[in-house]
Amino acid sequence: MLCLGIESTAHTFACAVVEKNGKIHSDVRKIYRPPEGEGIHPREASRHHIESSTKVLVDSLQQARIKIKDLDIIAYAAGPGLGPCLRVGAVVARSLASYYKIPLYPVHHAIGHIDLGKLLTGAKDPLVLLVSGGHTMLLAFMKEKWRVFGETLDITLGQLLDQFGRSIGFASPCGKNIEELAAKTSTYIQLPYVVKGNDVSFSGLLSATKSISSQKEKACFSLQETAFAMISEATERALSFTKKKELMVVGGVAANKRLSNMLKSICKRQNCKFYVVPQQFAGDCGAQIAWTGLLEATAKKGSALENTFVRQSWRLDSVNINY
Amino acid sequence: MKLIKKGAEGDLYLTTWNKQKSILKVRKKKAYRNPLLDEKIRRQRTIKEAQIIVEAKSFGVDTPLIYLVDIKSCSIVMQHIEGTLVRDLSDSKLVRCCNKIGYIVGTLHKNGIMHGDLTTSNFILSKNKLVTIDFGLANKTSKPEDHAIDLRLLKEILGSAHVYIMKKTWASFLSGYKAIVGPTRLAQVTNLVSVIESRGRYATVV
Ligand SMILES: Nc1ncnc2c1ncn2[C@@H]1O[C@H](COP(=O)(O)OP(=O)(O)O)[C@@H](O)[C@H]1O
Ligand SMILES: [Mg+2]
Repeated sequence: MLCLGIESTAHTFACAVVEKNGKIHSDVRKIYRPPEGEGIHPREASRHHIESSTKVLVDSLQQARIKIKDLDIIAYAAGPGLGPCLRVGAVVARSLASYYKIPLYPVHHAIGHIDLGKLLTGAKDPLVLLVSGGHTMLLAFMKEKWRVFGETLDITLGQLLDQFGRSIGFASPCGKNIEELAAKTSTYIQLPYVVKGNDVSFSGLLSATKSISSQKEKACFSLQETAFAMISEATERALSFTKKKELMVVGGVAANKRLSNMLKSICKRQNCKFYVVPQQFAGDCGAQIAWTGLLEATAKKGSALENTFVRQSWRLDSVNINY
Repeated sequence: MKLIKKGAEGDLYLTTWNKQKSILKVRKKKAYRNPLLDEKIRRQRTIKEAQIIVEAKSFGVDTPLIYLVDIKSCSIVMQHIEGTLVRDLSDSKLVRCCNKIGYIVGTLHKNGIMHGDLTTSNFILSKNKLVTIDFGLANKTSKPEDHAIDLRLLKEILGSAHVYIMKKTWASFLSGYKAIVGPTRLAQVTNLVSVIESRGRYATVV
């Protein structure tokens, strides 16, 4: 069984072909880059996605050496995300599905991150740290849903890094630029550290870091040290509470080495296994959507065209999982 | 001295103090944290915990007796509380306990204290007395916004770890809390809980 996965929730337009046995036959993406120092403009991004869609789609089929007719199902990221961007993926998915009569599956973007993470790392029953553009959450699976054991009370870790990065002139996503600058110093400037139980709050940290941004390297270093230590502490609290024996990190920020190292260290203390999604699949991609689509297909039929929706805000812990 | 638990942040040892069975809680260095930051956090929390545990007792909230505080090693020696963690109770007992937790949290808030880590692993049920522990994240504050943070965390834990009986436990908590703080304050704080929730995971991306 082959699935085409289409991702278009934010910066990235991506298509991937994945097989039911977990083999990723192709994974093609194009990323919209807003001008330096600016945030993502939903309409600009959606225009980028429209312009990229044909080539990304064709490349993903070619690399997988298949034709559209060989596809058994199609999955698209139905949310959460930016409305205009989401609609591009949904339109492509609907057109293909109705023209070629292929069953269609709307997929929750963040659940895609988790499912693909489990496929690629082999984690069985992990506490999940999801650190992507739109989410900063600690989750564990219970009674047909991913339950939240901790999260940010305001902005996400991705937003924190992007908003600070943009204020010093980087183009988002800025995580990598910040990581590189941070590596050039080890001088720590004290910044607000706010952990509330298993939850964190980043807004105070963001404004305090902006106020020291003239010292770029030190600001980046101190921002990372503080924000990652907060996340690590919240994660350790959730591990200690849930008694899970595996931790899995997924989402774009999972690629950060410093964060991984901190998390490894807490896993050691809590006597638990550490898994991080491979860098190549940490960011938004079609494979995460395709794989969740395949999993859903084991439990239910495709959606009728009139039931294929997009949802800008869609809470992860409201999604029922039957596979 | 026997290590009995690795908590969320402290190492807990069973020890004796004046021939009494007691608990030593040590906040050890965390190697992953920048040393400056680490030192500050561990000290502050050790001091806060010791102070607020004592203060809470003064207005009738059951907490362990504090025997010794050593700021330098970030350790506290306290009374050992015999009993069961509320997290590990049966469902029906948990529902009843949540009512008591409501009284306790209401009393703390009324006296200007937020607990800061209201999970079910920070209450011990001991001979029909419910003892509150782990005040490391506690703060002196009367702001309804801060009290709402306490309620929200408890709600998050009841809605995840104990989701099967979430409705009952939450209602039971709220009725206890209301009995202490009154209906007006309850409405104010629970409204703020909804505000916080609408900022977090319910919010749209970017
Ligand atoms: N005074 C005490 N008596 C008995 N058990 C305790 C006591 N203090 C802590 N514990 C046990 O140790 C665990 C962790 O202690 P806690 O103070 O909550 O540390 P942490 O801040 O690391 O969570 C508690 O959940 C409880 O099981
Ligand atoms: Mg505790």
